[in-house]
Amino acid sequence: MSAKTDNSRKKLVIQTMLLGAITAVLYAAVFSHASTVVELFARGGYYAVFPIATVFVFSFAHGAFASNLWSALGIEAVTKQAVKRPAVSAPRPTKRERPRLRMSV
Amino acid sequence: MHDQAVEAVKFIDLTWMNVSFLFIVGFIGGLVSGFIGSGGAFVLTPGMMSLGVPAAVAVASNMCHKFPKALVGAYKRYKYGQVDLKLGLVMAVSASVGVQIGIKIQEYILNHWGEAGSNLYVSVSFVVVLVVVGGYVFYDAWKITKSGAEDQISALALKLQKINLPPMIHFKTADLTISLWFTIPVGLLTGLLAATIAVGGFVGVPGMIYVVGATGLISSASELVIAFVMGLGGSVKWAIHGMVDIRLTLIILAGSLLGVQLGAIGTTLVKEHMIKVVMGTIMLIVALSRALAMPRYLTQLGFMSTDASTLTLLDTVSFVTMCLALAVGAVIILGSMLKAKRAEYAATIGAETYEHV
Repeated sequence: MSAKTDNSRKKLVIQTMLLGAITAVLYAAVFSHASTVVELFARGGYYAVFPIATVFVFSFAHGAFASNLWSALGIEAVTKQAVKRPAVSAPRPTKRERPRLRMSV
Repeated sequence: MHDQAVEAVKFIDLTWMNVSFLFIVGFIGGLVSGFIGSGGAFVLTPGMMSLGVPAAVAVASNMCHKFPKALVGAYKRYKYGQVDLKLGLVMAVSASVGVQIGIKIQEYILNHWGEAGSNLYVSVSFVVVLVVVGGYVFYDAWKITKSGAEDQISALALKLQKINLPPMIHFKTADLTISLWFTIPVGLLTGLLAATIAVGGFVGVPGMIYVVGATGLISSASELVIAFVMGLGGSVKWAIHGMVDIRLTLIILAGSLLGVQLGAIGTTLVKEHMIKVVMGTIMLIVALSRALAMPRYLTQLGFMSTDASTLTLLDTVSFVTMCLALAVGAVIILGSMLKAKRAEYAATIGAETYEHV
């Protein structure tokens, strides 16, 4: 059980690092050619597709990275059902017969 | 038209200070948006302008970061079962009409009373809407906190839900049925406010809570759907005019995508009325900030006379107060998340002890 948790945690860390690297490459690609990119993206008209498509691509890569990062740091959502309470055993049904009213005439 | 716009655009040089400021404000804005469904935009636009970014570029670049942030936040909260997609889309349609009405009103005011008149209209709208709506949200949150009772559907929403005025729409996740005609005014006002003060959610979320009857959790999550639809439309429009500075957008996005997910996680940790607490608090502080900015416009219009140094001081205090609104919201969110985490940890320890006894 513990080994399984360790494996999934290791997988999560690797995924986070991979997505982080993809995000870093995307940011580096834009900012290393910043002046060209800004000029191209600000031409307007049909060039409007560039900034819109770019933010979509970045939101998928960086969004996935951010999600994994919080999980890797142990900050995860909880649902009301997920909060485990100590299991208290239900009271056992009594075996004793119910008293019956008997009348002897 | 595009060439003229491009010629008029001035893209600033980026320094480490600028980048850090945009990243941090982006993160805090994202955190608040992920939690209450809106926020951040009201600080980012004036913040970018204070760095020397022209107003149109600041608005465009801010909007272009807003819709992917809303998309990521909505997706995250959808996974938690908090988004009513149908409610968000229905509201987004009427909100889009509201934006067009808001733009027309702005144009009319600008043509008749100039820039100072337009700024005064924006500030008055800010103060009136935020004091009235924010005050009520804050009062409601305070009442729930004090009584310790569960969040309840408002009496107005219950009355409206009982009126059978076709077409009636059932919202599955929100678990309510209401006439389309009662959702339209909320959507229109959301759009109108978005076109005026750039934060439609300050009317959209309370409208969905108190008029439509959805819970705070569902309303704030569904608001992200509205923000995505409206933000995408607005961004395409600005991008066609070549006003988006992609560098600014991507820096803000770097911070806000981290923040929005943390805010979304926060909604699952804290008590539901905390959404109202954060929203009411931010709205009231922002109202104060905009009230401090009003003397400048009143002076420009000749309604009062104030010396230049006082006006500069008031402008600075107004901007700092606006930043403070966002910071206070973030502190409440992070504080309540930390408190919830501690309680969860204590419960886990308690459970383990119980098992060992």
